[in-house]
Amino acid sequence: MADVRLTSVGKIYAGSVPAVKDISFTVPDGGFCVLVGPSGCGKSTLLRMIAGLETITMGEVRIGDRVVNTVEPMDRDIAMVFQNYALYPHMSVYDNMAYGLRNRKTPEAEISARVAEAARILELEPYLKRRPRELSGGQRQRVAMGRAIVRKPQVFLFDEPLSNLDAKLRGAMRVEIKKLQRHLGVTAVYVTHDQLEAMTLADMLVVMNQGVVEQIGAPLDLYERPETVFVAQFIGAPPMNMIELTPTKGLPAGLDGVAGLPLPAAGARLGIRPEHLGVEIDGDARIETRPGDVRLALTVEAVEAVGAETYIHGRLGGDGQMIAAREHGKVLLPAGTTRTFTARREHLHLFDLATGRRIAH
Amino acid sequence: MVENRPLANLVSHLILITGVAIVAFPVYLALVASSSDPTTIANGQLGLIPEGHLFENYWKVLFQGTERSTKQPMIVPLFNSLVMALIISIGKIAISLISAFAIIYFRFPFRHTAFWVIFLTLMLPVEVRIYPTYKIVADLGMLDTYAGLTIPLIASATATLLFRQFFMTVPDELLEASKIDGAGPWMFFKDTLLPLSMTSIAAMFVIQFIYGWNQYLWPLLITTRDDMQTIVIGIQKMLYVTDALTEWQLAMATTILAMLPPVVVVVAMQKLFVRGLTETEK
Repeated sequence: MADVRLTSVGKIYAGSVPAVKDISFTVPDGGFCVLVGPSGCGKSTLLRMIAGLETITMGEVRIGDRVVNTVEPMDRDIAMVFQNYALYPHMSVYDNMAYGLRNRKTPEAEISARVAEAARILELEPYLKRRPRELSGGQRQRVAMGRAIVRKPQVFLFDEPLSNLDAKLRGAMRVEIKKLQRHLGVTAVYVTHDQLEAMTLADMLVVMNQGVVEQIGAPLDLYERPETVFVAQFIGAPPMNMIELTPTKGLPAGLDGVAGLPLPAAGARLGIRPEHLGVEIDGDARIETRPGDVRLALTVEAVEAVGAETYIHGRLGGDGQMIAAREHGKVLLPAGTTRTFTARREHLHLFDLATGRRIAH
Repeated sequence: MVENRPLANLVSHLILITGVAIVAFPVYLALVASSSDPTTIANGQLGLIPEGHLFENYWKVLFQGTERSTKQPMIVPLFNSLVMALIISIGKIAISLISAFAIIYFRFPFRHTAFWVIFLTLMLPVEVRIYPTYKIVADLGMLDTYAGLTIPLIASATATLLFRQFFMTVPDELLEASKIDGAGPWMFFKDTLLPLSMTSIAAMFVIQFIYGWNQYLWPLLITTRDDMQTIVIGIQKMLYVTDALTEWQLAMATTILAMLPPVVVVVAMQKLFVRGLTETEK
């Protein structure tokens, strides 16, 4: 068991812009760290540097007490699950899992015991003699997991392991991975672009954008207190509504109640999560207005009712920007009607217009 | 196409049968001739029904040779051809696999130059560089040896190109998974790349075996001793007889014998061949 410690890690490909810049964080022993960000943000590069598949051009990576910058992947005591599983097509499921152990000169009796154990945990026992092509996507995924756990590594590395599965299987495997990691108590670093996966799996979430870390923290902390506009909009679906407030240009029509906010002279962005926009339905005062609340007059353009909740998309002040709101239950507003949506003062997020950083209020 | 039209079926079968007949008839005729009496062919009386001298003729040609031309038992050139074809095909596959492996998986200075130099040899087959090649082989004292017969033919780019193309389609993740599983470059080659290349190797073996077996010009140039001759040259020499009749029945028997090894190779490798075409998943 070991923690993973990154100190000022960077990666520059020869003759190109830095892919990863000055990243430092520590994944505690047994922690589940998820690196999340849009494609091209450097999250996979960072993972591959931890794995030893990319050279580290700057900084230092430690696994446990060891600096592993120049250590070969096999000696880093890690196991990796790839997006396309990378199973050896010509080997049986058993041999796929046993291969790494054999290369380490593990006794054959120990190998079969470990593979049997992994197969039991992953419910792969009936398939041990099959070739990967005779398995379904989910089973292949489990073989890839099995190949990782038989090694009893100090760190698991996952490179978008679920993105080749269909939505239903993805949900089930997500739960499996989390259970397995808890059960084995192995430190894990997991790369994904799916914010739902990131939120549900992580103990520690690292949001990356354009090669730098935007914010690190527990998933719900990031959700509730995003430090930057990027994090605010990346985490959560539908994304957080962002309204530009520039005192010199005047406030957008349909917006009311922002006077009390500490707006910098240069302007700010006001962020409101869709679920924090409450609406009154037919005079039924679901929302009791308090001082400091922000009110938005939205003209409804589209309503998506998915049963337990309803997404309402409307234009601010009739012809302003699109705002999304998420209401509990069925709220079937006809298109074209204008309603007032209320957001509580404590649910407002303010970001500096120029830097995109959070402003305390 | 899934269609069921009896007339179209009939026509297509007729065309196919005609094609097969055109290809197969001369072979059949050679077989008939190889079973005939020497006088039958000389008198122009060769029919379409095999005669009774089949085993006698084959025995004679294999272990005694012709009476009037070379007088060499043909078992020797058959063996020479087999050795030559095997060395060429195996040698070529071995060298090409290793060079393609180096070009794709290793970063070394002048990697691309190395590849293009190999590629360039495609434009310089043995026939083009035959004079200098002969000179080199002669100076190295390799005339009338298996080495002289095979080494210049092993050196060519076709197989390297094929394996290079194949290796480029192998996902990088397999290499990375191998690295993490603790396999070094040699083990990755042996445990992963080689098993995956099996079907390409089989295809290459078939092509190169036939290429080696059918060589004519090169063996003709560098072999002078009778016991180093290849079968193709053996057949050719059988046909030249001064002041006597060519022993066609023996020449035909040799021809049939010369056709057998390539046929055996193709038939034996066919299963792998087909698997190579249908199994694309890596």
